[in-house]
Amino acid sequence: MSIVARLARDKLEPEQELAALLDEADGDGAIVSFAGVARSRSAAGRAVVSLVLEHHPTLTQQSLDDIAASATERFEVSHVRIVHRCGAIAPGEAIVFAGAASPHRRAAFEAADFLMDRLKTEAVFWKREVLEDGSSWIEPTQSDYDDRERWG
Amino acid sequence: MRILFYGRLADVFGMELDLDAETGSSIADVRQRLAIEHPGSAADFMGKRVVACVGGSVVRDDYVIGDNDAIEFLPPVSGG
Repeated sequence: MSIVARLARDKLEPEQELAALLDEADGDGAIVSFAGVARSRSAAGRAVVSLVLEHHPTLTQQSLDDIAASATERFEVSHVRIVHRCGAIAPGEAIVFAGAASPHRRAAFEAADFLMDRLKTEAVFWKREVLEDGSSWIEPTQSDYDDRERWG
Repeated sequence: MRILFYGRLADVFGMELDLDAETGSSIADVRQRLAIEHPGSAADFMGKRVVACVGGSVVRDDYVIGDNDAIEFLPPVSGG
C-alpha cells in the first residue's frame, strides 16, 4: 500500500505521475488515472489567460492527505496518487493528476472517480480564472456537490 | 482579534483584519458583525458555505474565541 498526495508548485507532468504509479503498482492488474487540464476558454467562451489556484499554508495539504487516505479505506486499492498544482496555470497545463491501482479494475475506476469528486468539492483551493480584462472566482457547481453526494 | 481571509473574501477584506471584539465573543458574533459592516458579504457570513477555522480546524458558530486565537474564514473550496 502506498499513498502519494503532493501539492505541486511547479509544472505537473501527468505522464511522469502515471509512470510512477505504474512502477508502484507492480503486480496489480488495474491502473486508472485522470488528468485535469486548464481550459483555454471560460464557460462564457472567452479566452483564458491563466487559472490561478490559491492554497492554504496547512489545510490544503491536509485535505489532499485526507482525500487520498479515504480512497484507500473505501476501495480495494493498493496505491493512490494525487498531485495537485497551485499557483498560476496556463491553458493546456495540467491542474491535477489522480490515479489508483488495484488488483481489480472496478475498484480502480471507482477510486479514481471518488478522488476527483472529493477533490472538486473538498480540496482546499480557491480558483480564479484570469481573462484579458479581469478575473473571476470559480466555485463548485451544484452538479459538483451532487457528484460528491453520490458517495455518501 | 486577528482574522484571516482567503479567496474571494480576501478581495473584499484584504488577507488580514484586526478586529476589536469583546472577550467571550463567539464565531457567530464575529460573523454577524462582519455581515453588518459589509452588507455585500452578509450572505456569505450568515450562510453555511463559508467556514471558520481556528488553529487549523473547522470550528462551529458557538466556538468562544480565545485571546490568542486567529480566525480564518474560508469561502467554498474547489480543486480539480
